[in-house]
Amino acid sequence: MARGQTGPVTQGGTAMMKNLLGAAGLMALLAASAAQAKETVVWWDFLGGGDGARMKTLLEEFNAEHADSIEIQATTLDWGVPFYTKVQTSAAVGEGPDVMTYHASRLPLAVSQSTLSELTPDDMAVMGMTPDTFAPATWDAVNVDGKQYAVPFDTHPIVLYYNKDKLEAAGLLGADGLPTGLNGIDNFSAAMAKMQEGGTKWGMAITTADGGFAFRTIYSYLCQQNGSIGNDGAWLVDDNAEKLANSVQVIADWVSNGYAPSYTEYPAAVALFTSGEAAFMINGVWEVPTMVDLEKNGKLFNWGAIELPVMFDKPCTYADSHAFAIPNNAGKPATPEKHAAVLEVIKWMSEHSLFWASAGHIPANKSVQELPEYLAMQPQATYATLIPNQVFDPKSVFAGVASPLFDAAGNAFTAAMNGEVSPTDAVAEMKASLDALQ
Amino acid sequence: MNSLRNQTLVAAVLVAPFVAIYSWMFLWPTVQMVQLSLTDAPLIGEGKYIGLANYERLIQDKTFGKAIWNTAYFVLLTVIPGTAAALAIALMVSRLKGWLQSLVLSAFFLPFVLPVTVVYLLWQWMFDIQFGIMQAVLEPIYGQTVNVWRRLPFFMPTVALLTIWWTNGFSILLFLAGLRNIPKELYEAASLDGATRWQAFSRITWPLIWPVTVLCLTIQLILQLKIFDQVYLFASGGRTQSTMVLVQYIFDQAFVHNDGGYAAAIAVALFVIVVAFSVFQYQILRIRGPK
Repeated sequence: MARGQTGPVTQGGTAMMKNLLGAAGLMALLAASAAQAKETVVWWDFLGGGDGARMKTLLEEFNAEHADSIEIQATTLDWGVPFYTKVQTSAAVGEGPDVMTYHASRLPLAVSQSTLSELTPDDMAVMGMTPDTFAPATWDAVNVDGKQYAVPFDTHPIVLYYNKDKLEAAGLLGADGLPTGLNGIDNFSAAMAKMQEGGTKWGMAITTADGGFAFRTIYSYLCQQNGSIGNDGAWLVDDNAEKLANSVQVIADWVSNGYAPSYTEYPAAVALFTSGEAAFMINGVWEVPTMVDLEKNGKLFNWGAIELPVMFDKPCTYADSHAFAIPNNAGKPATPEKHAAVLEVIKWMSEHSLFWASAGHIPANKSVQELPEYLAMQPQATYATLIPNQVFDPKSVFAGVASPLFDAAGNAFTAAMNGEVSPTDAVAEMKASLDALQ
Repeated sequence: MNSLRNQTLVAAVLVAPFVAIYSWMFLWPTVQMVQLSLTDAPLIGEGKYIGLANYERLIQDKTFGKAIWNTAYFVLLTVIPGTAAALAIALMVSRLKGWLQSLVLSAFFLPFVLPVTVVYLLWQWMFDIQFGIMQAVLEPIYGQTVNVWRRLPFFMPTVALLTIWWTNGFSILLFLAGLRNIPKELYEAASLDGATRWQAFSRITWPLIWPVTVLCLTIQLILQLKIFDQVYLFASGGRTQSTMVLVQYIFDQAFVHNDGGYAAAIAVALFVIVVAFSVFQYQILRIRGPK
């Protein structure tokens, strides 16, 4: 560039720059005044599938109702390790969302990583909530070391799905129309055998190819014997290893006796049940929408779902909770206005969780559980009896969905359920890998 | 003398951006990785210096040994067999003419454009123990239906098979390009001299296609040493410790076990292995030498 040209260009550039700056300033002012009127809440969740579609409806309703005060900007991310890694890394650099869904079982790890902000009793008061808003086990699940880190939205246990037509034909329905005579290992086996004698290919569809998934069932049976998995540094102490082996043995026997197919993957297990090739299925309540949709299209038999039958001493069912948590965005604490908006979001969602129950999940808010609309919802109201009998993951940084604990279960129990190794050896392997965690 | 200094200066200025970016984006993180491997840091945040403790743990770690073995086994199952299959297919495709060749070639290339998740879902259902079409092939041979993703002896060979199916299109393309570059006159002269088809292949095609073969082997070796996605997806929920591969173990320690320091130590080990392999391969290629 020739020197002579520099002057005019610079002058023209300065004038232009001034204009640009002016425009930018105006824009910023406009944006600021808009922000004062309307608070934006950035929301992350991991809800794909049937419950994701329902959450989308709730979010749209919220935004419509709060058209001039709060807007939720929601993003759905990949479930499991990818979600939690993203949350952890983004919170560490202050780039996390304003509010997010969180599994209660993952809270201890998140707290140890300083990923979450504490919720104070004042916050709860603002939302009109107390510990009594929730079932005791659910409330306990969102507290770590006496501090609250999330607000429970639902609990999502596993349940027993059954083919009502087949059970009726076999005389296994009681006067109330619900399955009867399924409690106890022998009774349950007899029921499955009866189904198979009646021409059903399998008694039970259960995910035998995934010990991590089946751990939810195995863990329930451990609790049914008053057993406990233990905790950091003291895994499976005393006779708990034996009790855990008993639990694994239940499923291993179903496979070896031909009631349940071996090495069956999750989608295949669902397909076996929905195609009528298996009379029972143990799976999460999140499969309820699958059944409802098939039934709506006239492609399903009469069906139902109940609390897990008691195989041992007492009723007990594994559950986890989808909860709302606020990330601890490093260096970027939320403004009081933003915090208030977030609390309003959580409160609104909790109060509107009746619709969420159509996804199968049990609303954590007890007042919603008591609504006549919920009590009329089937099979949700039927299996809601399990709420007092829930057992959550141990409070350990190694526990929770997609955690080292589930991973250890996958490694130990996949082969054991299918008769490749004995349940006792599998439990010993699991204990060894839990003890090695550090 | 002055102009030489000027040239050096210009060269330095021109090279500087690359050196700066390379140092910043590659060298510095590598140094940091080594530093991290000497600490007990979690995934995010600082850790305290613990010397070589992570490496001592690595030597005694059975899963690490298993990961090395599984990775080596996978490389063995894919690199040479995959390249051989690609050469065989390319030789057959090259005999076709016109639109038929394009059609067959695109059929072989099609899997290569699929994302790994699609490959996973496809093969998951194909091999499904209840509904999978491949069980009709496996059952007569093995005597019963088998979940290949959970029975350990079946796992790696099946993943290797589908990896070859998935990634082979690219090697076929390279070989085909190589075959087209061989002058037709050589084959004409050979046939006039009464050469058999095998002689034409072993004396003309094979030596002339060798550089492409080396290229394919190198690409495959680097690609398969970094095996992660397929093993992660197919083993998920099952016996992950028994089917662990190296990159997956880094991921597992860093993101599932929140152990950044130890994961860095494994990454350093993988780095050393890859460097050793590269030097080894370079030496082999030097023996064959520039002709």
